[in-house]
Order: sequence, then C-alpha cells, then structure tokens
Amino acid sequence: MKKILIIEDDLLISSMVQYRLKKDGYETILVQDGNEGIKAIEEEDIDLIITDVMMPFKSGIEIIHHARKFKPDVPIIVLSSLGAEEQIVLEAFNLGVADFVPKPFNPNELAVRVRRVLKL
Amino acid sequence: MRKVLFFILVPLFFVGTSNAIGQQNQPDLTDSVAFHDFLIKQNEVPGLSVRFILENKILTDSIPAASLFGFTELTSGGLVSSAFSQLNQFTKLRDTLKLLNPKWEFLIFSQPSSLTASQEYVANLLRNGDIQIVGQSNLSSNDLILLASKLPYKPLAQYKFQVISDYKLFVVTVIIVFFFVMALLMILFMLVFKAKKNKREQLTKDYEFLIVGPLTNLLFEKELDEIKKLSDAEINDIFPATLLSKALFQHVLIDKIIGLNKKMKGDFKNKLKALYQRLELNKVSLGNLKSKQWDRVATGLVQINEMDLIEALSEVKKFTNSPNFYVRSQAVGTLLNLSDKMDLVFLKDQTYPLSAWQQMNYLRIIKFLYQSKELHMKSLFESENQSVRLFGYKLVRLIGLVDFLEDLGKLAPNASDEEKIEIIKTYEVLGAHMQADFVNDCLLSENPKLQQAAAQAIGEIGNKESVTILENLLKSQPEFRLKMILLKSLQNLDSNQFEKFTSIQMDFDTQRIKRHLLDPLLRHV
Repeated sequence: MKKILIIEDDLLISSMVQYRLKKDGYETILVQDGNEGIKAIEEEDIDLIITDVMMPFKSGIEIIHHARKFKPDVPIIVLSSLGAEEQIVLEAFNLGVADFVPKPFNPNELAVRVRRVLKL
Repeated sequence: MRKVLFFILVPLFFVGTSNAIGQQNQPDLTDSVAFHDFLIKQNEVPGLSVRFILENKILTDSIPAASLFGFTELTSGGLVSSAFSQLNQFTKLRDTLKLLNPKWEFLIFSQPSSLTASQEYVANLLRNGDIQIVGQSNLSSNDLILLASKLPYKPLAQYKFQVISDYKLFVVTVIIVFFFVMALLMILFMLVFKAKKNKREQLTKDYEFLIVGPLTNLLFEKELDEIKKLSDAEINDIFPATLLSKALFQHVLIDKIIGLNKKMKGDFKNKLKALYQRLELNKVSLGNLKSKQWDRVATGLVQINEMDLIEALSEVKKFTNSPNFYVRSQAVGTLLNLSDKMDLVFLKDQTYPLSAWQQMNYLRIIKFLYQSKELHMKSLFESENQSVRLFGYKLVRLIGLVDFLEDLGKLAPNASDEEKIEIIKTYEVLGAHMQADFVNDCLLSENPKLQQAAAQAIGEIGNKESVTILENLLKSQPEFRLKMILLKSLQNLDSNQFEKFTSIQMDFDTQRIKRHLLDPLLRHV
C-alpha cells in the first residue's frame, strides 16, 4: 500500500484530501505545519508528498528543498492557493515537483493526479 | 507751652491705656493668706512648687502618709518632703502633717525661695501674662495668642476626622482609593476576559474537531440532492441539535463551510451551498444584517456573497448607500455578484463618493459581468455624484466600450474640468479621432491639468489644426513638463514639423527634450 504524506495546515482541507485518498486505498500521514512535515519526511517511509505552500514554521518551498535533499526520489504535489503567483509555481517546478494543484480544487481531480504521479 | 504739654501727655495717655488693656485684673498677692488662697485656686504655677519641713524629726518617727510626702533627712537635722507642684493639695497635705507642726517653703525652679520672692515671682508671671488666672475669661486677643503659643501642639482631631475636615486631603485620599479600586477592577476584568477568551478558543478548537469529520463524510458520501433532502433526524445525527443551536458552533460551522467553499470547486461547492441552506445557516447570515454592529453586517454580507444567498438580495440592496464604507462596498459587490437582474442603476443613486479601492473592486466584478448581462452603464453618467460619473468614464476606458464614445461626446463640453480630463484619457485610449476638436479646445484651457491631459491625448487623436495649436503653445514658452508633452505630441502627429520647429527653437530645454525624444532607449522613459 502506497503511503502519502499530507502537509496542510487547514484541518478541513487535509481531512477532505485524506478521506479521498483513503478511498482509493492509499495510506496517509497527516501533519499540520512545516516542522512536523520535515520531521515526517526524515522519519517516515513515504511514496508521495502533498504539501501546501503557506504554512506555520516552514513554507512549502522549504519543505520541497528538504525533501529533495532527504528523499530525492519521492514525488511531490503542491496544493496551494498561490496558483496565480507565477513566481511560486515556477520555483516549485524548478525544484522538481511532479504537479501543482491550485486552490480552489476538486479532491477527485487531485486523486486522479496522485494516481498518475504514482504510476510514473 | 500748651503744645509741649499736649505732645507729652497724649502719648502717655495712650501708653497707659494700652498697658491697662494688656494687663489682667491682678489679685493682691502681698498678703500671705491671699497668696496662699490664690495658689490653691490656681493649683499650678509654672516653676513654683512647695515642700514641707519637719524639724527635729527622723525617718523612723511615725509620720502619717510618709510615702506620699517622700521625706528625706536633712543634714542639719529634720525631714524634708519632695516638692509638690499641685498647689491645691497644699491645705490637705498641711492638715495631714498638722500634729507634727510642719513648716513649708516655696521652691522656684527647685531653688528654695522666701515667701516674698515667691510672691514677686508669681506677680511677675501675672504681669507678663505668663499665667492665666483661673476663672478669668475676658481675655484680650493678645492674651489668647500668648496662651496659645504656650500650649504644646496637640492634634485637634484624630486622623479619621481630619481626613473629612481637610477637603484637599479628602480629595487626594478619594483619588488614591479610586485608583486602587480601578486597578483592581481592571485586573479582575482582564482575568475574566482572558479566561473567557481562552474558553472560547478551546471551544472553537473542540467544535472544529466535531465539524471536520462529519462534514467530510457528508460531502463525499451524499449526493447534492440527498443533501437538499436531508431530514431533521439525519441532520441531528450529523450535527446534534443541542450543538447546532449554539451561536459559537454556528459561527465555527459557517466559517468552515465558507472557508472550504473558497478552496473547493465543482460539485463540492454546490453541496456546501445546499448544506448551508439545509442547516438554515442562511438565517444566521440574514440575522447578521439586522445587527447594529457594522462588522457583523459586513460579515453577513460576505456570507451572503460567498454562499450565493439570492433570497437575501432585497435586504442587501438596503445597504448599498450605507454610511459605512465597508458595508456599502460589500453590499454593492454582493449585489453585482449575485443578481442576474441587477444593473448599475442603483450605483447612480449613491450619495457617498466612490473611493479608488471601491472603484477597483467594482471594476473587477463588472469586467466579468458586462458581457453576460445588461448593466445600464449609461445611467452612471447621469448620476448626481461626480465620483460615480468619473467611474462610468473609467469603465468605458478600461473595458473598452467604444459604443459609449458618442454619449461621452455629448456630455464632455458641459462637464467639469476633472471629468473632462477623464473623458480625454478615454478618448486617447480608445483612439476617438472624431473628438479631436474638443481636445483642441481643451489644449487652450487655463487649467494646467486639463491642458496636460489634452496635450497628451492630442498626440494620439489630433488633426492638422492640432499641430498649429501645439506650435503656438510651444512658442509661448510653457513650463518644462507641459513643453515635453507638447513636443512629444507634435512629434507623434507630424515628425517633419517637429524637426522644423526644434531646429528653429534653439533654447536649452527644447534641445534637451528633442535629444530625449529622438533617443530610442529614452523615448518611452
């Protein structure tokens, strides 16, 4: 069973994402801030990271940097309301993220993107 | 001689009179009996005391009340008592020792003195006013002052009475007490407020956890129609009625649903809106509109806008001319967003000026609406409110509504200078060449701002006549900024004429501007 780390400070959004991914048979780990996210990246054996950009303690960009260092092979999907911020999107892709899902989003659409990324 | 006598006798008379006034009615103390009576009556005379002497007696002899007298033996023989300053006891003490045939002697400041010396001493005290005769009360003010100065200080009243009698001390005491009471009340208030805030925060967190799970399940497990048809019992299973009736729970639930609605798209958005209605949270939003607090009204308007509560639009319309800036802005934004039928006619009647922020906000909404519905934008030009008319001209320019150029052409000649500037900018952006004559007229305006706007626009929409006007204006030596705009417009309209003009006008500014305009890198700077 594939294990997905969800780093999202909005409890309701993370709950929606978790529910949808569990429905598809994925195992999920939920953390609510950047520090916990970094700890989970170091400690957990994960197959995919879904992260927000604006979070307490550490931003999503810092998390991507950290993940590239510790888990270079783990794909990352960025889920952020900063989709209109060209600079952020470009930076994320330059760091090697697999996908960028802008908010507002549809959890079903996210599930499809997760499936696609994990099959690559 | 009479005069001499007068000058001697009159002062003597006054001296005598004043002495008489200053002195007390002195008793005759030369008689020893009267002196004793005086002392007994007076009881105490400062510095004067009396002691008894028993000749040829020794301490072992039986002496009545010996301890009271404090007898000591004299070297010359006999006994001497201690000194008594309470002179009214003199007779009593003397009678006690009567059988022993006592003698007594006066002491002035502990020095044995004769009767005559004592009499003179007392008389002197009386004369100087150093003692007050007991029972004599008709004293002059001088005597009272003298007496008062001799009395040791003793507070007239205890402190607690003094506080009340001294109003300054009383005021200071009241202020200090008030300060302490207020400080205590503030500390108490802070503690209560903080405790309430902490409790509210904790409750909010608890409610969030209670909401997240059921809301997620509901959105994934139920279809849109199923949510619309949820029974009261089903709702009670998801969110117990006891919780749902609490204002804080409703507040957290509304926040969560609206927050999620902003971040979701597709079917989830519709489900959230249906759920909002089914849980009757729309009534809470409508209730907010009835609040007297502007922030609650603004919150209600935001909720109505976010959750598409079309049934509340008639209520929302009432706030479009609210005196509160935020309420007014939010109400207009909500109306424009939600209403299919709503046009811009209501904006025409706004009495408050539209701020730049409001104009930007409305423009953002109108940009998406103008193609899908009839906005009656022309009504903005008819507004009594100049800021609304200016907003209308800006809309024509920013959305590119060339159909309205003709209307602007009719309005422009009678408009104010500020409006003319906005209209000219619109002509410039939309390339309204047919309005060149109007802009030519504005070039000759005495209002420098209008002249600058016209000079700028004429470079884009000018005609032959404009070239002549520009040249004439340039010859009149305008200020540097206007000169630059005029030269740029002249270059745009007729580059040959520009070259010809600048080769004749050799002044420093003209040449500097020319070099700037001909530089391909600097031209647009």
